Amino acid sequence: MSLGNLAMSDLAAAAAALGLPEVLVQRSAEARAADTGASVDDLLAAWAGGAPAPAAVSAEPVVGDAPTEEPAAPEVVIEVPAQAPAEVPGEVPAQAPAEAPVAALASEERHGPYVPPVLVGSRDNPMTVLVGAVALFVLVALVGLVGPSLQAETPGALSTNLPYTQLAVDGQEIYGNLGCAACHTQMVRPVIADVGLGRVTLNDSNQILGTRRFGPDLSNVGSRVSATQLQATIEGQLNGHPKYTINPQDTSALVAYLSESVTVGEDG
Amino acid sequence: MAETQTAQIRALLGGGTSEDRVAATHFMVGAGFLVLGGALALLALLSIRFADLFPITYGRLEPMANLTLMFGFVVVSLVGGIYYVLPRLTGTRLWSADLAASGLLGISGLVVLGLLVIGFGFGSGRQPLGLPWWFHIPMLLLLTLPLIITVGTINRREEKRSFVTLWFVMGGVVWLPLLYLAYFVGDLPSLGAVAVEYSNVFLSAGFVTMFVFTVGTGLFYYTVVRELDVSLASRQLALVGFWSLGFAAAWWGAAQLIFGPAPAWVAGVAAALGLAFPIGTLANAANVSLTLEGSWGDLSEKPGVTAGIYGLYLAVAVATLAALAGFRSIASVTSLTAFWEAIEYAAIAGPGALLVAGVSFSALPRLIGREISSLKRARSFSRLTVIGSIGTLLFMSAAGILSGYSWIGGSNTAAYIDAGEGWAAGLGTSFETLMLVAIGFAFVTFAGQLAYAATIFGTVTTGKATTQEVLVTREPSDE
Repeated sequence: MSLGNLAMSDLAAAAAALGLPEVLVQRSAEARAADTGASVDDLLAAWAGGAPAPAAVSAEPVVGDAPTEEPAAPEVVIEVPAQAPAEVPGEVPAQAPAEAPVAALASEERHGPYVPPVLVGSRDNPMTVLVGAVALFVLVALVGLVGPSLQAETPGALSTNLPYTQLAVDGQEIYGNLGCAACHTQMVRPVIADVGLGRVTLNDSNQILGTRRFGPDLSNVGSRVSATQLQATIEGQLNGHPKYTINPQDTSALVAYLSESVTVGEDG
Repeated sequence: MAETQTAQIRALLGGGTSEDRVAATHFMVGAGFLVLGGALALLALLSIRFADLFPITYGRLEPMANLTLMFGFVVVSLVGGIYYVLPRLTGTRLWSADLAASGLLGISGLVVLGLLVIGFGFGSGRQPLGLPWWFHIPMLLLLTLPLIITVGTINRREEKRSFVTLWFVMGGVVWLPLLYLAYFVGDLPSLGAVAVEYSNVFLSAGFVTMFVFTVGTGLFYYTVVRELDVSLASRQLALVGFWSLGFAAAWWGAAQLIFGPAPAWVAGVAAALGLAFPIGTLANAANVSLTLEGSWGDLSEKPGVTAGIYGLYLAVAVATLAALAGFRSIASVTSLTAFWEAIEYAAIAGPGALLVAGVSFSALPRLIGREISSLKRARSFSRLTVIGSIGTLLFMSAAGILSGYSWIGGSNTAAYIDAGEGWAAGLGTSFETLMLVAIGFAFVTFAGQLAYAATIFGTVTTGKATTQEVLVTREPSDE
């Protein structure tokens, strides 16, 4: 039904009465008419006169194209005056009323001509989304997680799997506990920015790669900085590094891990 | 004593049905965690610039902030929103309000425990949460509860037609535990360092696209049509938005490690999926904008709708930046820098918080029968959050780009090798200045977060009485 077929005065009056734009009143009237079987003109006339709109009861599903869609389940949602219209919050009754009296109250003291919105459209089953969502997750995980983790083909490349001592392995755990990887990477990429940092990191790396480089990359730090300098840095005496107060054994282990992080020797 | 306290809490929450009280409690707990997480995020950013200012360094502060904001605030609040809309969209009671309440208690307790574990140095240091492996088991179980409750509720639904919100909710509750499971797998001892790193970024990226933006947008669709009593403009656009957000998770995570040790084909395949991120957010923003056609003038008294609209538009900006950074030419400058820190911070503190407010500002008054305590404060939250998160995003990403170019320049001139570990000196004060400005905007964001919490708690305690939605059980239909 086109706008021109409607009684314009009723539409305008209904829009004014409901405080809504005419186009929305028009759409709502058409949806309501399709659902209840009433005519659009009658609905608009009723709304224009301030009369309560007919109850939205949708006993039979509407099949076919959905002219409009609004939230469902109107029957379970009823607006009632607050059970405690007290201005002072402390005066709200402590005991919640039973549901039955509330329902009765709702039917007797409903505020205004509120008519809950009606969902118009074909039936569907949201559980089908569950199947689709799981399938999508599998696909996304394959592309974003499994794929990148696969062994890359790098013929002739030098391994970045370093032969750490047990003390250094313990130090790697401390490196993790302290959250060093939040600021330091151990990942050298084949890009200009990383030239001079050490051997390009391969898939076989046994370092903690990290994703942020607020501080320098540490994949090859053992070839650049002495153990003494590393300890001084950890203790906050060098390079503006924050001070870490850890016991001497842990410090030794951490220093060992970093000192043994050498991917390129002195010969380059 | 305990009974009296329970009665007082029930009184404050309006004495509605048990599921409504649970939903309202989720919003309150989430607001508390927002303040805590916002403060931790602020401290974390400050510790980048002032390393010795706090006894706990950035390496621990950042995962503590992530844990609090991601699971204490976003998950708790959005799950509260899910429990609010489910009975209203399915025409039936929540499958188990008691289980929902237990889930809230459990996840809140776990977040607090996790903060202590990380703070005292017992964490693993794995980004983004830094939790030890044993922590993931109870967390995974608790994250499965919303899925169980949602499926249980939908299974016995009375309403046979579904509003688009249900897709987004269903997708979010399915994806959240799966994402966490993928993250948990990263703790397997046999896994290589590369796989561990990809599982880390898979969670941080997937959490935003597959849960925060998905569930937040879905709940906001309900808010818009409910608050303004208008029809949704397009079910098809919502469909595009929903599935696109799901696809987007594949690339955002991988993009952070571009040029890293992964097969070359991954960049090509996943780059196409990266475009799904801005497409998804744009589809949802356009859909809501079309839905609001003719109703824009009514938004001044609807702080929830206003916040949600801001959130959707800001999500488009964040998604566009993230997608751009997936191109190899841009990634050669931005990857591993503060650019990504900016995007991750802004995604949660900006659109994430705004979309949460999109549902909570609308739902809470209906759940407890009290008006929003202060519309002015609610509007302040939206404005401060928008200004703060955009400012932080711009200046911190600029600092990241500067870092990236300095690495390239330093490498070309061999300055890096000369400077050794003192590479930061090559940047002069430019990086630090940009970070300082970004931190300044983060303070603005935090002020907004305080306004949000004050609005939520103020509404519960001092909001004026208003009409309350009460769920009334109806007879099962014969349909």
